[in-house]
Order: sequence, then structure tokens, then C-alpha cells
Amino acid sequence: MVQIYEYVKMAFSNIKHNKVRSFLTMLGIIIGISSVILIVGIGNGAKNVITSQMSDIGEGQICVYSGDSTDTYYITNKDIEKIKKLDGIKAVSVQDGMQGKVQALKGDFDVNITCVMPDYKYFSNTGIKEGRFFNESEYNAGMPVCTIGEKDAISLFGTTNVVGMKIPVDVYGTNINFKIVGVEKAKSDSFISFDYGEKSVSIVVPETMIRKVYGVEIDNFYAVYILAQKDADTYEVANSVTKMLNNNHKVKADEDIYMVENFSDYMSIVNTVINIVTLIISLIAAISLFVGGIGVMNIMLVSVTERTREIGIRKSLGAKTKSIMLQFLAESVIITLLGGIIGIILGIACATGIASIVSAINPSLAFTPDVGVGAIFVAAAFSSIVGIFFGIYPAKKAAKLSPIEALRRN
Amino acid sequence: MSNLIEIRDMMKIYNPGENEVRALDGINLTVEHGEFVAIVGQSGSGKSTLMNMIGCLDIPTSGTYYLDGKNVEKLKDDQLSEIRNEEIGFIFQGFNLISNLTAIENVELPLIYRRVPAAKRSELSTAALIKVGLEHRMDHRPNQMSGGQQQRVAIARALAAAPPVILADEPTGNLDSKSSKEIMDILRELHSEGRTVILITHDDGIAATAERIIRIMDGKIESDTKAGEKTESDMRMGGQNE
Repeated sequence: MVQIYEYVKMAFSNIKHNKVRSFLTMLGIIIGISSVILIVGIGNGAKNVITSQMSDIGEGQICVYSGDSTDTYYITNKDIEKIKKLDGIKAVSVQDGMQGKVQALKGDFDVNITCVMPDYKYFSNTGIKEGRFFNESEYNAGMPVCTIGEKDAISLFGTTNVVGMKIPVDVYGTNINFKIVGVEKAKSDSFISFDYGEKSVSIVVPETMIRKVYGVEIDNFYAVYILAQKDADTYEVANSVTKMLNNNHKVKADEDIYMVENFSDYMSIVNTVINIVTLIISLIAAISLFVGGIGVMNIMLVSVTERTREIGIRKSLGAKTKSIMLQFLAESVIITLLGGIIGIILGIACATGIASIVSAINPSLAFTPDVGVGAIFVAAAFSSIVGIFFGIYPAKKAAKLSPIEALRRN
Repeated sequence: MSNLIEIRDMMKIYNPGENEVRALDGINLTVEHGEFVAIVGQSGSGKSTLMNMIGCLDIPTSGTYYLDGKNVEKLKDDQLSEIRNEEIGFIFQGFNLISNLTAIENVELPLIYRRVPAAKRSELSTAALIKVGLEHRMDHRPNQMSGGQQQRVAIARALAAAPPVILADEPTGNLDSKSSKEIMDILRELHSEGRTVILITHDDGIAATAERIIRIMDGKIESDTKAGEKTESDMRMGGQNE
């Protein structure tokens, strides 16, 4: 170990003695490592933003639906009660859609009516701005109450101060006066949004009021929406739900009736795509690292030729093959490692710079670059490996010189 | 006490075959501890090859070589490095200092390869530089020193590790007469302190400093005389004068 320290010292002194050359040699490594760090930083930063925006939309959401339209397989209220008692479940709701029309002061609007259960309030990630969500008793009574989005309230009434107002909607020929009980906050700025057209609004109403429209009690649902608790594994939750449904509906072991759509699947697809893109660009950056490594080898070979006499002197003074080899190897590793460290710093600086430029230009795309300790260690380790790999050949060449030959040359 | 250097029937043959060159052709040589020997010969005589052999920089084609009781001729590369490090202090014609390193760093080099701890290294190197009168030049680089000073650094480097043999190859070849005299004075002083000095030169005047002069020609020892003794040719000449 003590000897290695001496070789490192020798290598440092030589690098210091050839500052410009050492820096130029490092440049290839600096560019390679900084581009990898830059790309990983921006890629991870973008992934974090997309992931968090997506989880705002539907983290933990699972949809279980019947893949068979036979009556016996529809999901019933009894099923839903049982699902609510399973582990890891925060909320359960059905979700049906109806279409209606409204004549408002500002003209005719299409109304997307989403019919849900009281638990639905947990699915919404934005929260209520004014008023409240409809409650259990309104739900049980099938009252025509609704919540409406902030933007839609402004479209219809020109204000968000609409709690208590009524929206007369024509639902398939039946006129229903929906009383507004709450206004949902508009979604924060995000580049993923689900706006319908200008001339259409959405309201959320108790599913039980469907009987007002159809005049019948509804107890068969095609699908059920489940919100898993924050720390629960959505796949396990989905499994327990389908298992229970299979039991309740006496599904045979070899039949696959209940299907699952898990929001985590979408998230992992998006993540996979971002990872692949990051990987491909990183591979391209790795090529520049490889070229940088060849540059290091090239300079080290020149250095061996130039320093033949020095090698001869060292050998005549008792340096062994291994000592010369370690000295030259230490030099190339220090050059690449220093280049790697400069590259890491430069990469982080560039990523931060680009992120601040992006957020200055378009705040909705704002992200924080996320390089991660792992990536930094990998980059540092990789640059030293490049140094060892491309340093071995010149170091061997130096170490093998015979002292008489080396001393004879000038 | 055994001899310091014992060479028997040493041959060094380059290009074995029809065009072979016998650089050394059956050398027998014994050097005892504390001797001051000059090996003299014209260029091409084989004196440099002999110096490479004595200095363990090269291995002979045949023959035996004992250095300080160690059989050298069959050693591997790394073992030769070790022997050079422990047994021999080289002084070269071209000084052979490393230009990036200061005087003291140059002197420390053989000690680094001998794994001497840093504090001890600096102590030994400083002592060696003081001995050659360069205590004011310790942090100078070779290009900031005169030829004579550089050669004195080289001598300090050869001394620092206190090897049994000091092997000087044309140490004054690149120096003016004043510096040459200084260097020879130092070598003589080292000898008077009991060190073994082997001097390789083509210059009879320099060789005359030594106690024993070995003349070499065509790879063979032509004569081997102690100071005060007369060579065969001297005697012949003397005989004619009488």
C-alpha cells in the first residue's frame, strides 16, 4: 500500500509537470462522463415529473371488470361491500357515465355525467375548493346533487361561487335539476390534462340517482374502481379482489372472468419508455467515453516513448517491472479519474442549467435534474476502469523496456 | 572474507552464429572490498558490456558471476532489479537524472524502490547531498544546475543507499576539467572511506587516479596492474631505457 502511494505521488507529479497535455487528454473523458451525467440527470428529472403528475392522476387506482357479459358475473353491491373489507383498500366506487345537455346563459353545453359512490372523493387528487362532496345519506337517498370542476363552473356561470345553484340537465329526455354541493379545484399546471372540448362540462353525481332516470334499482356493474392504500401493493390488492369475486360468482378455476387494469402498469410503461430513451442516449455518450479512453492510451504511448530514458534510469536504480507498470497505470487512472470527476461536476452543472432554462421558458415543463449518488459512483468507477483498460498496454510497454536499451536512447 | 566481485570465464556473444560478435571473450576478474579499480579501453573494446554485466543491467551468455556472494548470472529480470538496487550505485556519463524531479527527489529514488520509509529516506538523501556539497541545491531541478552539480547529485544518488559497489561509467565524460577534478576528488574520497569504486573510462589520465587499472581490448583483459607496479609494457620500455 505504501508503495502504491509512492507511485500515485510520482504519477501526480508527472501530470502536474505536463498540465496542458494532461488536461487535453482528460478532455475526452470529461466530455464523455459529463454527457452521460447530463443525460441521466435530465432523464431522471423528467421521469420524476411525469411520474408525480401521473400519480396525481391515478396512483393506486385499480379497475376490476368482468370480461364476460353473462349476468351472473356482473359485480353487485354485495361484492362491493365485501371488497371494502379487504386489506389494503382505501376506497371503492363504481363509475358509470351518462350524457346530458344543459342550456346555460352562455349557450348550450354537453354534460358528461359521472355516476359514482361517496368513496369517489378519494379518487380525486385535486380536492374540493368550495362546498363538499356528496355524502352517504344523499347517496343512499339517490338525491340529484353534484360536484363540478372549477373551470366548468366558470364556463357555465362565470364564477366559482356556485354552491347551492342548480343545473337543469336533460338526461336522455328526463329533466333533472342537479344541485351543486361542491366545486373541485382545477388541476395544477401539468402537461398531462384531460380537458374535454370548450362546449362541454363534467359533473359528478351519486350513482344511486340513476334510478331516477331509469326508474329501476341497479345492482349489476360491469366494473369497479378500487383505490389501494398508499403503502399497499396494488397488484396484491387486485389479486385479492379478483379472488374474492371468483369465489362469490363461483368461477371455475380454469376460467378467467375478472380482468384487472392497474394504473401501475401505465406508470411502468411510461417509465420503461423513458428508461430506454435514456439508455440509448447514454450508450451514444459512452462511445465518446470510449474514444476518450483511446485518446488516453495514445498519449500514454507517446509518453512512454518520450520517457524511455527515465524508465531506463528508474530500472537501473532498482525499479522492477511491476513498479514501472504501476507508475504508468496510476498515471492513466488518475487522468481518467480526474477527468471523470470534472465530468461529473460539469454534467450536473449543465443539467441544472438546462433545467432552469427550460423552466424559465415553459414553467409547466419545469423539472429538477436528478443524477443520483449511484450514477455518480458508476461514472467515477467507469472512468477509472477506462483508465486501467486503456492504460495497461502503454504501461506494459514501458515496464518491458530493458534498462540498457532504455538508457542508450535519448 | 569472500571477494566482492568474482567473474569466471564470462562470455557475451551478440548475434550467435556466423556473424557473432564476442563482446566479452572469457573474462576472469576478481575485485575485493574497498578496491578502487579503473577499467580502461577504447570504444568497442567491450568495457561497456563488462560494465553492464558488473552492474547487472545485462546477463552474460556464459560464465559465472558472483556479486557480494550472490550468483547473478541466472537471475530473472526483477531479481536483477533488486540486486541493482541493493548492491550497486550507478554514476553515468550523461548524469541520468530525472528532469521533473528536484535534486533530493532524484537522490531518494533508489530508496523508494528499496521501500525505505519517507522520513528515513529524506534523512539519508539529505546526508548524501551534504556529502557532495550540494546542501544549497536540494530543491533545484537538473536544468537549474551545472553539469558538475548534476553529476554530484548523481553521486549522492549512488551513495544514499550505501551500496557495496559504486560503478562509475565515464563520470567525467561530459564535464570540463575543473568539474572533472571535483568529481574525481569525491570518488577518491569515497574510496578512502572504504567504499569499492569501479571506474570505467577510456581516459588514461582519469584512470591513473585508481589503485588498480584493468585494460580491456577485444573483449579480453589485456593487463591488470596495481598502482606502483609496472605494466609489462612499462617494464619493456624501462628495460630499453636502461
